[in-house]
Amino acid sequence: MSNIVDARGLSCPQPVLLTVEKMKQFKAGKLEILVDTESAVENVKRAVIGNNWTVEVVNEANGEYNIRATKT
Amino acid sequence: MRLIRRVIQNLKSRFRNGSQHGLGLLVFENTSEVIRAEQILKKEGCDVSVKGPPPELRKGCDLVIEFQLVEELRVRRALQKQGASALDVVPLNSELLQPVDIFQTRDFGDYLMVRAANMKITVDKRSTVIVNISGGGCPDVPYLAQEMVGKKLQDAPTPGDIGHTLCGYALQLAYEEIQQQC
Repeated sequence: MSNIVDARGLSCPQPVLLTVEKMKQFKAGKLEILVDTESAVENVKRAVIGNNWTVEVVNEANGEYNIRATKT
Repeated sequence: MRLIRRVIQNLKSRFRNGSQHGLGLLVFENTSEVIRAEQILKKEGCDVSVKGPPPELRKGCDLVIEFQLVEELRVRRALQKQGASALDVVPLNSELLQPVDIFQTRDFGDYLMVRAANMKITVDKRSTVIVNISGGGCPDVPYLAQEMVGKKLQDAPTPGDIGHTLCGYALQLAYEEIQQQC
């Protein structure tokens, strides 16, 4: 089962919904969420934190963002 | 402020002969005042609705109150009684108004999204927990999301109470609509 959520090209709330579903599947571990808008980054970060996961890092390159989330 | 007054003067000149539709706009300095005034006027039974302003008056996250010009005195008195007052009253052709209460609903299976104007609220249908709030571009959107996301619809603060912009108002409409649907 992939730990990557590729939400590039999707508009809100879809990046958040995909992330929430993935967090439900994994319950703990590491996830990578790929988005391509700043608002999606903010919304996904809020969802991650709200579900008691931690946002480890957000990397940006060429207008695309890689959000790494963890839960132990 | 000077700009708003100049625009108001322009609008007054344009509509010096009165509105074709008997409608007027109450213009306020900021959106919080609009939201409060709407509550006051609705409580008084006045026939009012909140709209996006015409382009001449728009400066971002704005709102105006549309009312029946024949009720102007009643409206002014109701506001005055509660210590509120409009910056100005402008007779207006309703064609210039942009409605802010257009709803769009999208079903994502376990989740339901309602969009009102520029704001979207998404709720987990089973738990009624708000999973996302997005849209807008107004400065209070991050705050609204922070306060509401993760809470059940019935437990979340009301955006009309904690919001201060057009986005807050639009979110209130979406919030009311999704409450009916969930």
